[in-house]
Amino acid sequence: MERFDVIVVGAGPAGATAGRALAQAGLNVLVVERAATPGAKNVSGGLLYSRAVAEVYPEFWKHAPIERAIAAHQIVMLGEHTSTALDFRSAQAATPPFNAFSVLRAKLDPWLATQAEEAGASLISGVNVDALLVENGRVVGIQAGPDQIGADVVVVAEGTAGLLLKQAGLRGPHNPHDVSLGVKEVIALPPDVIEERFQCDAETGAAYTLVGSTGGVEGGGFIYTNKASLSVGVVVKIDSLYASGRHPHEILDAFKAHPLVQRLVRGGEVVEYSAQTVHRGGFHLATQLVGDGYVVAGSAARLLVNNVLTLRGMDFAITSAVEAAQAILQARFAGSYTAATLGNYVERLKATSIYQDWRTFKDAYGLMENPRLFSLYPDLAGEVLERLLTADTKPGSKALGALSEALKGKASWLTLSQDMLQIARGMVL
Amino acid sequence: MTAASQKPQLSLDARLGLDRYEIDAEQSHIAVDHDKCKTCTTRPCLVCCPAIVYRWTDERVAVAYENCLECGTCQIACDHGGRGAITWHIPAGGFGIAFRYG
Amino acid sequence: MNIVALVKYSRDVTEIKVDPATSELRTAGVPERVGLIDKNVVEAAVRLKEATGAGLKVIALAPATARDSFKDVLAMGVDEVVLIEDPFDGEAEAGIVVRLLEAAIRKLDPVDVVLCGFASDDGYSFQVGPRLAERLRRPLLAYARGITPEGGGLRVEQNLDDRMQTVTAPLPALVSIDEEAFPPRRTTLMDALKAKKKPVNVWGIETELGLSRADLESSARIADTRLTGVVVRRQQRVLKGQDLGAMADELIDALEQAGVLKGAA
Repeated sequence: MERFDVIVVGAGPAGATAGRALAQAGLNVLVVERAATPGAKNVSGGLLYSRAVAEVYPEFWKHAPIERAIAAHQIVMLGEHTSTALDFRSAQAATPPFNAFSVLRAKLDPWLATQAEEAGASLISGVNVDALLVENGRVVGIQAGPDQIGADVVVVAEGTAGLLLKQAGLRGPHNPHDVSLGVKEVIALPPDVIEERFQCDAETGAAYTLVGSTGGVEGGGFIYTNKASLSVGVVVKIDSLYASGRHPHEILDAFKAHPLVQRLVRGGEVVEYSAQTVHRGGFHLATQLVGDGYVVAGSAARLLVNNVLTLRGMDFAITSAVEAAQAILQARFAGSYTAATLGNYVERLKATSIYQDWRTFKDAYGLMENPRLFSLYPDLAGEVLERLLTADTKPGSKALGALSEALKGKASWLTLSQDMLQIARGMVL
Repeated sequence: MTAASQKPQLSLDARLGLDRYEIDAEQSHIAVDHDKCKTCTTRPCLVCCPAIVYRWTDERVAVAYENCLECGTCQIACDHGGRGAITWHIPAGGFGIAFRYG
Repeated sequence: MNIVALVKYSRDVTEIKVDPATSELRTAGVPERVGLIDKNVVEAAVRLKEATGAGLKVIALAPATARDSFKDVLAMGVDEVVLIEDPFDGEAEAGIVVRLLEAAIRKLDPVDVVLCGFASDDGYSFQVGPRLAERLRRPLLAYARGITPEGGGLRVEQNLDDRMQTVTAPLPALVSIDEEAFPPRRTTLMDALKAKKKPVNVWGIETELGLSRADLESSARIADTRLTGVVVRRQQRVLKGQDLGAMADELIDALEQAGVLKGAA
C-alpha cells in the first residue's frame, strides 16, 4: 500500500494550510481535493479576517487574490419599508495589517493550495476520498476509488457538508437547527460604480450585515463588495427554512427587492448563483477534534465564531490547521499518533484568541434563535424613527412614547426588556 | 428611478443556467428511497433545496441531480424533518458544480 | 511502436458567451483547457498503447504556463507531454499549426501512429488532420470510431455519416478520431500520483523545432477578421399538461403540427 506521513482531505483554507505547515516541516504530505480545481466547490458568505491569517501567511494581501479591504461596516435592520443602519468606518482597517477582506473562493483557494504545493505537499485535485480506513478503531488511511493509501495521521478538512466523519461514525448527523443554508449571487458591477455607491476607494470596500431581511425566517443577509462585483446573499436556519415553506431563492429575491438592497445592486448583472451550508457556530456543538490516527480542522469540526456581527470561519479554519499541524509534529516526535498524543491539538487550539472569542460569544447562539430579532425589532426600529423623524399633522411624542406606540399589540414591555437583556448577554456584557 | 430601469429578478432556471457544471451523465449522486417518501407528510426537500432539485411529480420525487449546488441541505433536512429517504453522496471526482467565483 | 496524440489546449467553448447586440463572441477571459474532443483522442491513444505495448507521447500547442493542465492527460496513461510553446496564443492559422506539428513529430521520429481529433474544440476548422497527413506523406484514416492493430498495420472503422466503413492501412499512418467515439476514462488517485512523476517538456519553436517565427507568420494565407455566432430562433413552447402523460401527448401534437413527426396517431 502506498503511504504518506500525513494525508489531508480537502484543499480549502484548513486543508491547504495544514498541508503547507506539515510539508514545510519536511513531512511527506498528500492533499486530496474533490473539486477539479481547489475552490470550485466553495462559497464564501463571510470575510477573511486578516490578523490570524497574516501570522501564517505574512502580508498575504500583497500576494493572495483578495478582493477589497473592508473599511466600512454597515449593520442594518430592515423593516418592511424602512431601514435603520449603524455605519462604521475605520481608516485603520484600510491600512496594514487591515481587519478583513472580501474574497471569492474560486480565486483564493487555488492560491492557498499553491502555497501548500510550493512547500512540497503533493496536491491531487478532482479525486474523491470515499472513506476513512479504520482498523481497530484507529484511522490508518483513506480509500479513494480502488486505491487505499496509508498514513500516520489523516487531517480531515472536508468542510461543512463533508460526510467522511459521519460515515466512519466519528460524528453524529448535523441538526437542521444548528446549520444554516446560505444562498448567494455574485452580481457584476464596474469598480467605479462600486466605489461611488459604497463610498470607498480602489482598494477598500464595504460589508453589510442585514437583520430582518429574511421575511421572518431565522437568519440574515449580507452584501460584500468585491473588486468588480458584489456578493449578495441570505443565510437561513434550515429548520426555520422548511417550516416557512418558502424556497431559498424566493427569500433571496425578497431580500433583493427591499428598496435599500435594490439601490445597492441596481444595474448589476448576476453572474453566479451559489449555495452552501454553514454551521451556526454553537460553541457547544464542536465535534471531537482528535482521535486515534486523525485530527479534524476547519468547518468539518464545526469551528465558526458567529456573534451576529462577525462570522469567522476561514480564519478559524486556518488557525485550527496550524495548531493541528503543530500537534502532529509533536506527536511525530513522540512516535505515536493516538488520541492522547494528538490531543495536544485541542489544548493548543483552546489557547488561541479566536477560540476564546468563540467561548466569549457563546450566548449569541441563543440570541439568534429569538424570532423577534428577525421580524419585530427591525420593523420597530424603523417605526420609532419614522415617528420621531416625520413631521405629522398630529402632535408627536418623545422617543419612549413613540416606542410605546410602535410596540402596541406586538410585544409587551416585559418581553422587550427580557430581549434587551438577552441581546446584552449575547453581545455586550 | 423609473420602473423600466429595474431589471426583473431572474427565474431560478435562468440563475442555474449561469452556473458551470461538469455533468456526470453516467450516474446520479443522489439516491432516494421512494417508499419512504410515500409515507412522508412533510417533504422538506421540496422546499429547502436552493436549486429545486426535488419535485413531486406523478406521485414520487423526481430528482434533477444535474442542477445540484452541493450544499448538503437536503440531507440534513430529510434526516430530521423528513423520513431519512435521501442519501446524498458527493458527485464523482471532478464532476458537479464548478463555481467560477464562489 | 510509438504513438503520438495531438492535443489542442483550447478555449472552453462552454464558457463563451455571445454578445446579444452584435452576435460577436465574447472570448476575453474565457479559460482554456484540454478539450473534450482531445480527451477522446487521448483515450483512443491510451487504448492503442494498452493493446500494443507502444510508447505514447502527447504533443500539445499551448502557453508554457499551461504545464499543469496536462495532469489529467498524463493520469490517463500518457508517458510524456511535449508542450510546444505557442507563439501565436492559439490564434495561428491551420497552415502554421500543421507546420509546427510536423516539425515536432519529425523530431520525435520514429512515430508509427499519429492520432488527432476530427476537429478542435474551439476552432472547429477540420483542417489539421488532412493537411498534416499530406505534409507527413501518411495515409489519413479519418473519423475513426474503432482502431485495432492488425498485421503490422491498423484496422480502422470510419464513420462516414450514412455508413460505417472499415479500412486497413500500413504504418506509419495518421488517424483522426470521431466525435465522442472514445469517452475518456475516469482516473484514480494512484493514476494521478503516478502522473505527477511524468515529464512535461516545453519546446520552443525556434530552439527545439528550428523554425523561425517570422517565416511562419509570412506563410499565413488566411486571417480571421470577425467571429460572430449564428442565431437560431427556437419556438420555445412550454408544455402545460397536468402530468407527464398529458405533456407527452401535447408534445407529440406539437411535433406533428410542425411536420417533424408523421402519422404518430
